[in-house]
Amino acid sequence: MSEDRTLSEIEALAAEHALGVLSAPERAGAELRMAREPVFAALVEDWHARLAPMLGSVAAVPVPDALWQRIEQGLPVNDNSGGRVQFWRRATFGSLGLAAASLAVVAMLAVQKPAIVLSPQRAPATILNARLDTDKGQHLFVAAYDPDRKAVMISSLVPAGTDPGHVHELWLIPADGRPRALGFVPVGASVAIAVSDSMADMADEKAALAISVEAPGGSQKDGPTGPVVAVGKLLKI
Amino acid sequence: MTALNDPLAELLSRIASGDRGALRLLYQATSSKLFGVCLRILSNRDESEDVLQEVYLTIWRRADRFEAGRASVMTWISTIARNRAIDRLRARGPLAYADQIDDMEIEDGSTGADVLLEVAQSGEALGKCLSELDDRTEKVIRTAFFEGVTYEALAHRMDTPLGTVKSWVRRGLLKLKGCLER
Repeated sequence: MSEDRTLSEIEALAAEHALGVLSAPERAGAELRMAREPVFAALVEDWHARLAPMLGSVAAVPVPDALWQRIEQGLPVNDNSGGRVQFWRRATFGSLGLAAASLAVVAMLAVQKPAIVLSPQRAPATILNARLDTDKGQHLFVAAYDPDRKAVMISSLVPAGTDPGHVHELWLIPADGRPRALGFVPVGASVAIAVSDSMADMADEKAALAISVEAPGGSQKDGPTGPVVAVGKLLKI
Repeated sequence: MTALNDPLAELLSRIASGDRGALRLLYQATSSKLFGVCLRILSNRDESEDVLQEVYLTIWRRADRFEAGRASVMTWISTIARNRAIDRLRARGPLAYADQIDDMEIEDGSTGADVLLEVAQSGEALGKCLSELDDRTEKVIRTAFFEGVTYEALAHRMDTPLGTVKSWVRRGLLKLKGCLER
């Protein structure tokens, strides 16, 4: 396409994101868009592939011997169970069965998220924390559940003004894997969302929080209608 | 690049199913290259070691997300290393960018040469296309790539309006794409 006189806006943004020239809020916006729009994500990946060969000219440098041990000791248990996750990702972000697969992928990701090493002794603190990441590992939301207040405090790291045509709906996914709607998280803001008594009982360390992108008014069904862009397990710190 | 002719792709699917031995093999084949990438960006050994550890942890966790056919394993993991190193660089703060060292005089490591051949070959094509750009645009793109400098910082450094820098970069990227497709 060398005849094109300019890159399309979507491709220019993808190229700029891959190159790394966007400001921090623009980067967060681009990450959110990658999580939501497979076409945009693919353009970014293509630009990564175009630019990565620049790294080929960098000389290799021997790594200190002790580093492998450090890495190996830090490895969590890997329970990716490869194919299934891939399958669900494709199903979710592909054109088929979007809604149904979204539910499934939430459940999958919630279960599949690598274990974070927690110290074995029980901490007295009862507050549970969650960092909600995209499947590329970008943090989009941070949340804490306070059982005393029966509320989720959640902060959106998405830059204000991003994607005004949609809302971000928060879901609790308890051990049974069925998402329950909790409320909406305004872009770039922090809010406290009350949790009903029945749901409070399910907000434990087996549960996860997830955010889906929905049309204004939110999902009209039992679970997310739009794509799930970020998921995080509730953890004691 | 397909899984069939990428010797590392098979390792990656084993890593995704939790095979630590496969991660170790990948580490042996690629760590000195990725360490070089981190050092090139960060110019600091301690930080580069930290980042390298994060990189292999990321590979371990996300091996299942690798799509053979989209990119080679080497491209994928080099991109992870570059992005993590740039995150670290940015965390130092906007004014803390280290002076870049263009020629690091460090001996070549033990990286399997055949594994890097593909990267080297596409590097040649990219290098040729970059050199077809005017010098200023080439320099801006290389600087942005290795330092993760934003448009704003580039404009400040070059004492040029942001919109101008942006149009240089966009035009450069367009030319680059056209050249690589030839």
